[in-house]
Amino acid sequence: MRAMIRFGKQPRLRFISHLDLQRFFQRAVNRTGLPIAWSQGFNPHPVMSFGSALALGWTSEYEIIDIKLSAPMGRKRTEDAIRAALPEDLPVLEVRMVDDRHAAPMALVKMADYRVDLEGESAPAVLEQIPAFMARETVTAMKKTKSGEKEINARPMVIELTPDDTGFNARLMLTERESIKPDLLVALLAEMAGVEPPEARIHRLMLLGEDAEGRLRPLMEL
Amino acid sequence: MSLSDRIEKLLMSVQKPVRYMGGEFNAVMKDADAVDVRYAFLFPDTYEVGMSHLGMKILYHAINARDDCWCERAFSPWVDMAELMRRDNIPLFSLESRTPVKEFDLLGITLQYEMSFTNILEALDLAGIPLRSAERTEGPFVIVGGPCAFNPEPLVPFVDLVALGDGEEETLQTIDVYQQWKVSGLPRSEYLKMAAKIPGIYVPSLYDVAYNDDGTVRSVTPKPGSGAPEVVMKAMVKDLDSAVYPEKLIVPYGEIVHNRIMLEIFRGCTRGCRFCQAGMIYRPVRERSIERLMALAEKLVSSTGYDEISLMSLSSGDYSCLPELAHRMVEKFAAKRVRIALPSQRIDNVLTDTLKETQKVKKTALTLAPEAGTQRLRDVINKGVTEADLMRSVTDAFDQGWSAVKLYFMLGLPTETDEDVLGIADLAEKVRKCYFSIPKERRAPGLRITVSASVFVPKNDTPFQWSPQLDYDTVVHRQQLLRQALSRLKGVDFKYHAPDISYIEAVFARGDRRLGEALERAWRLGCRFDGWSDQFKYDMWLQAFADEGLDPDFYATRERPLDEVFPWDHLDCGVTKQYFLREWAKAQRAECTHDCRKGCTGCGMKRYEGACV
Repeated sequence: MRAMIRFGKQPRLRFISHLDLQRFFQRAVNRTGLPIAWSQGFNPHPVMSFGSALALGWTSEYEIIDIKLSAPMGRKRTEDAIRAALPEDLPVLEVRMVDDRHAAPMALVKMADYRVDLEGESAPAVLEQIPAFMARETVTAMKKTKSGEKEINARPMVIELTPDDTGFNARLMLTERESIKPDLLVALLAEMAGVEPPEARIHRLMLLGEDAEGRLRPLMEL
Repeated sequence: MSLSDRIEKLLMSVQKPVRYMGGEFNAVMKDADAVDVRYAFLFPDTYEVGMSHLGMKILYHAINARDDCWCERAFSPWVDMAELMRRDNIPLFSLESRTPVKEFDLLGITLQYEMSFTNILEALDLAGIPLRSAERTEGPFVIVGGPCAFNPEPLVPFVDLVALGDGEEETLQTIDVYQQWKVSGLPRSEYLKMAAKIPGIYVPSLYDVAYNDDGTVRSVTPKPGSGAPEVVMKAMVKDLDSAVYPEKLIVPYGEIVHNRIMLEIFRGCTRGCRFCQAGMIYRPVRERSIERLMALAEKLVSSTGYDEISLMSLSSGDYSCLPELAHRMVEKFAAKRVRIALPSQRIDNVLTDTLKETQKVKKTALTLAPEAGTQRLRDVINKGVTEADLMRSVTDAFDQGWSAVKLYFMLGLPTETDEDVLGIADLAEKVRKCYFSIPKERRAPGLRITVSASVFVPKNDTPFQWSPQLDYDTVVHRQQLLRQALSRLKGVDFKYHAPDISYIEAVFARGDRRLGEALERAWRLGCRFDGWSDQFKYDMWLQAFADEGLDPDFYATRERPLDEVFPWDHLDCGVTKQYFLREWAKAQRAECTHDCRKGCTGCGMKRYEGACV
């Protein structure tokens, strides 16, 4: 049995790196008192996996950790135990018990919704570019990869982009092969406007995947 | 914009923002309006270093156990953060509530190391607190404690109170007296006088220092009418079992130096190594019972989720029931995959059985500290360890699968000769032979011997407080001599450092009140984080001494006559100057003093009621 936990990352803790968060959860699961399943092998560790790494400096209300249990547990007891083991700035928002055969959260993620707030003089000019951006078929961008930089067409990876006075909401592709990060999107819009990128506060609203019929659904509901 | 938001802005552009973040699991949050006293505890080094320190954890817990008081943490911002804080006018702040340190009632600072002194001035300045105690008309009282508090004289222009000895009780008393003072409405100076009556509290501004023509101290005496005692005796916790100890520890997000449960199994040391300040100032030995330790360990494991427990003390092998403790710990926690680590093992009682137990869970490098290369010099320093002890320990360890050994030594010990230094290489060679004496199929592959040699710093409140520090050129010569000798041995690494930091450390360890001027000068020139070799600026330090007309050699390399009055003679660490003198004389004759568990050696601790049983 596995516990799929959705938790938030509040502004105060936005500088915890993904690696540090993984280490943090190793200790956090130890203090839950839950029957945690451990990996086999030379260096055993609790069996757990994450939805998608959140970049340093971002906040979120849709982070997922999936923890394997060695014995069946009720949802409520699991939720209470996890909540007690986390600080208030990592709030537990939803817990779902799933079967061991349920796909790993990482494999399910297709897209993510973000809220992006812009600050600084160039913000209005950047927001003005959004209709033009959406009207184009191709927006060439340089994306950093492990082996250097490669040229991508960013436009099809941006599914929805809705501006308002202070920023925009975005639905962006998030798969291993196709993904674009909100800060790169801000940089592209700024380039189109011919301005310096404004400061962006990035908040993840949701992770989405596809159900058996190919419909987009929040990850926790798959 | 709130202070917290302004801090957030900076965090995007500094190294390791987690240092300033707070919000860790088990960090204590309280309603600031609901407490009477707000206490800021500053560790004058980085977050990673400070969060690894046991004393801070104990006092944080002790103060926060009170409903009327909230203790929050502060650390020295790294140089990049300090620069941005100055640029944006952000004062030094507490981690928990991000309140300016200046708004607290009391500011406790721990003195673990002389080379953190400039960080204290930097912190006060960043906090917007006037540097000099005499110039403060508002804001927190500055209280320092910790090992360096036994000679705080170079720092005293900048501090209000000095807490000597065990902090558990006296810290709470400084808070009680603060509450009484606050209610009384009396002027600021009255708090200092009231605090001077607390056992273990030294109020430097209530004392006059007179000097002889040669620059040595003639006397340190209480100001007439101040009511301050002529000699301040350290505070001492008699029973560690009933003393407060944290049942929860803050669990940091980033990696820190010692990221594990620290369990203090006893305080003090009976060995009497003559170079060791800790072995003197933390006397007498007080043990926690196995029952108490087991109960604490269980609570700490479940409240932190850590997978490692360090059994802490100055000499864990001396714990009276170590095999039983180790056995029970391993038995209880192995199923929970919690490792038990025994640090600072002494070579003469690394217990084979205990090694077997710890090995079951994890194998680390065996760390041994013979300190000196020849038996004669080990007798001078009263390190009651023989070459046979050392060889037995390493052979046992190699036989049980260890292949890494770290050996710690000091260079520049009193009476040391080139021959003693070459003795270190000789020992390393013999350790190698022990490894190869184990049949190949039994020993673990990949022998690694690390020889580390630090430069000896004579400390106050030790039998070597009269000793000169070895001069710079001779230190360098002996380092090179040893380096060459060790380079001929395969599988042996040699670690050593330039002697310049140790020299400045020696100046301050036995410094007097006048050095405060040089300290402030060095800070104004830009000295910070002097214990970090990449930040240490030797030239600036020499300039600071020159600017203030002080000769650092006077403090570091001068042999002090037996009848000299020391700047710290009015502060009693529990062990008497007469005992130190006797030990200094015996050292010259390479005569050993036995461990006082085998019979009282008359160090002076018996003056404390119930101290030695």
